[in-house]
Amino acid sequence: MFKFKNRNIIYAVVPVIILVLLFSFLPSFRAPLLDIAKHPYKVLILLKREIGGLIFFHGNLVRSERLRREVDLLRLKLNAADEAYRENARLKNLLAFKQKVSYKVIAARVVARPADSWSSAVILDKGKHHGIRRGMVAITYLGLAGKVVEVTEYSCKVMLINDPGIGVSAIVKRSRQEGLVCGTLASSLIMRYLPKDSDINISDLVLTSGLTESYPKGLLIGRVVEIGNEFSGLSLYAVIKPAVDLTAIEELLVIIP
Amino acid sequence: MNRLIFLAIVLIIGLLQATVLDVFKFFWVKPDLLLASVVIASLLFELRWALVAACFAGLLKDITGIHNPGIYILLFPLWSFLVIRLSRQITLENDFIPPVIVFVVVISDSIIARVVVLSLGDPVASLGIFLRVTFIESVYTALVFILLFRIIKRIPYYKE
Repeated sequence: MFKFKNRNIIYAVVPVIILVLLFSFLPSFRAPLLDIAKHPYKVLILLKREIGGLIFFHGNLVRSERLRREVDLLRLKLNAADEAYRENARLKNLLAFKQKVSYKVIAARVVARPADSWSSAVILDKGKHHGIRRGMVAITYLGLAGKVVEVTEYSCKVMLINDPGIGVSAIVKRSRQEGLVCGTLASSLIMRYLPKDSDINISDLVLTSGLTESYPKGLLIGRVVEIGNEFSGLSLYAVIKPAVDLTAIEELLVIIP
Repeated sequence: MNRLIFLAIVLIIGLLQATVLDVFKFFWVKPDLLLASVVIASLLFELRWALVAACFAGLLKDITGIHNPGIYILLFPLWSFLVIRLSRQITLENDFIPPVIVFVVVISDSIIARVVVLSLGDPVASLGIFLRVTFIESVYTALVFILLFRIIKRIPYYKE
């Protein structure tokens, strides 16, 4: 006959009681345990990711190389498209201006600039063959750019308005004050021979007056950015920011009189 | 053949001078690489070939100029001749002397070119602009010359 001993009963019941108790209180233990365990989990997950990275490193490297090549190619295409877009916008502006202006113009592309630092000029890809002659005025859709000073059969040189050799008779648009605009070989122009009591303010627009024979009246030259007294003290001068960015000219329109 | 390589280099410099170098303008002034190449030719070659290179460089500079056509084709050989004469009088082995020569040559070139333009009755830049451009151009050219001379010296065309 099977005989229960007290010790056997205890060995059987105590674990059951412990299990029941654990089962009953598990929900209350689970949250703090999880909080404690999450730190080693994080470490293990990192470890796992690194091991995975090592295992798949080669595949990723190859894919990365391929993607980089694709990105380079796309970037190249994007640059070309961007350049075409800019050229398109510029030519559209030129065309719109060409249709708007009353005088006949010839569009030409800038091919070079002088080799020295003593002159500000551009060399255009059109010349006598296309109808360009010495003394003709060059403009952009923004305003006056310069004057043709030398022509060959298929090219011409345009002296820009910031060359010291150029002088354009100009007027202030608002007050009709007259002056002479000269170049400084820098980014700004200077308007000289303004009387002491001239009606001229900062931000006034300056236009060609038409008194210099070759320049048609009303072409925008630039905007006044500074006014000062001449060294002699007898007259004023005005520093003018040209309407045309003379450093970044790519196309010009030459006016046929 | 080796001398022709140098002429090809001068041609490339001339093309760069009228196009790409505009990007490297400092206060609206760019270095005169053609004049620097004339001094280099004078330091590397004998008189005859240095004069040929100087004429070629002067021609390239005159092609694009607007104020003084034809001046540099005369001035550049003159500088070349004077540099060769000077190199016979003093030793130019010191690294500092050639840039100083370039500095002086650029200043002299600017002064003479302006005087010629003035005597021809063409409009010239005011004194302020003249001083600004001359000073910046001479310093800039002398600094660029150091680099250009080092590059050109590495090409073994001048060893006959």
